[in-house]
Amino acid sequence: MSESIRDRACIVGIGHTEYSKDSGRSEMKLACEAISAAIADAGLKPSDIDGIAKYTMDNNDPIDIARNLCMPHLRYFGEVAYGGGGGPVGTIMLGAMAVATGQAKAVVAFRAMNERSGRGTPRFGQAATSAGAAGVASYLAPYGLFSPAQMIALAARRHMHLYGTESRHFGEIAVACRHHANLNPDAMMYGRPMTIDDHQNSRMIASPLRLLDCCLETDGGAAVVITTPDRARHLRHPPVFIAAGGLGAGAWNHRSIVKDLESHESESTVIGKQIFKDAGITHTDIDVLFIYDHFTPLVLMALEDYGFCKRGEGKDFVSNGRLRWPDGEFPLNTSGGNLSEGYMHGMQNNIEAVRQLRGAARCQVKDARYAFVSAGNAVPTSAMILRRDV
Amino acid sequence: MNDAFAFPYPIPEYGAEAYWAACNEERLVMQRCAACGKFRWHPSPLCTHCSDERFTWAPLSGRGKITTWTVITHPVHPAAVTRVPYVVAQIELDEQPGLNLISNLIDVDPDRIAFDAPVAVTFVTHPAGQKLPMFRLAR
Repeated sequence: MSESIRDRACIVGIGHTEYSKDSGRSEMKLACEAISAAIADAGLKPSDIDGIAKYTMDNNDPIDIARNLCMPHLRYFGEVAYGGGGGPVGTIMLGAMAVATGQAKAVVAFRAMNERSGRGTPRFGQAATSAGAAGVASYLAPYGLFSPAQMIALAARRHMHLYGTESRHFGEIAVACRHHANLNPDAMMYGRPMTIDDHQNSRMIASPLRLLDCCLETDGGAAVVITTPDRARHLRHPPVFIAAGGLGAGAWNHRSIVKDLESHESESTVIGKQIFKDAGITHTDIDVLFIYDHFTPLVLMALEDYGFCKRGEGKDFVSNGRLRWPDGEFPLNTSGGNLSEGYMHGMQNNIEAVRQLRGAARCQVKDARYAFVSAGNAVPTSAMILRRDV
Repeated sequence: MNDAFAFPYPIPEYGAEAYWAACNEERLVMQRCAACGKFRWHPSPLCTHCSDERFTWAPLSGRGKITTWTVITHPVHPAAVTRVPYVVAQIELDEQPGLNLISNLIDVDPDRIAFDAPVAVTFVTHPAGQKLPMFRLAR
């Protein structure tokens, strides 16, 4: 038996709701809509689904989903920790492992939340206001360090110091994602173009992070269906194969609050080296990039950690429009990403990666064969390489 | 003072009471492993370098250098509304390379903060009574 997940599971269905600031309906309703859409896209029925993979932080209970969608039985349910960033690829990998080992026939991985309206999930950009802080927060919250943006700002400034990275390099990432969102009528930021000057003129949130370095906040739902290659071949769309994937955490994740930029090992290097080896390809084989874009500096650091360039060379890698479709060498997050399509905690990037490999994306990369997809870095993370069937 | 307008006070974890008690005496202490001799922050039951359980609460000089910082201008907590701009920094303490802690830099012009600038600990009382280690630029 093969020791890796290579080509033992496929993504066969994708679905999502609209992305908005206020969905006007419950998180369970959003989950059911997105999951139903993904199941229908696959050409399956809810009764064909016998596994559900969720983000630990998602409020929607799998059994309640099965109740609403009349799934007769579940044989697999699992979840992935580490907030929104740790989950988007991790949930896919849970589903892949479940179907590859016969624990389930078809698994749905999903994310659904009312994170922008706050009707169900508290906004991540706002601190809870309890009088006391416990656990690790007891060493941070008394100093007014609460939000992910504030913590990432600390790593971003150190990267700038060590490697000469500038704010405008972070801006290149924001502008690339916005460029793609403006070609995607479903994106929250459709019709709102952005230039590097707009980025440079946006207000500081926690220096050096500006407003336009930060992802959106969104209400919505997104889901994908995973099954085995044998089953996938009889379904509606050409299957998209999981060529490699997995989860990773590096030593710095438990040694430091701020992402350690001096270490040669990170959450991303741990999994990155493994998946390129498992997939049997190199970085130049990748046609389209889906890097989890919670904050622009972390996209730049992910490109370095995953080996698309050396550490410190991210500033050059992202410049000169290289991330922009159609002319850029490495189009990034071609539906707009967390930064400009909608903040579905990366599940929207999974969906777009599948569209690219089906040849059905709006910003279609010509003959796209391999997509690289990462979950959020600076937390324990996950990443995968997806492959077109032929 | 109304606690709604203060940042959260620390609720000491089991095993971290001595850290906070020493702060109340205006002493910065950290666990020092009895096996490998290394310090660690924040407190934990086992050594994060070698997993040994034995340690002493060892005093630190309270001196270090700035390894990174952020000037927070967008308030995300009610108490931050009147506090912005404020500075959160990572301080590498002199006793050990990589011995970093997170704190506030106080009484500082944000434009004058620099990498590797030396800092020294001071203690500021939270409205709930706990003294918190904070840092000032060293003279």
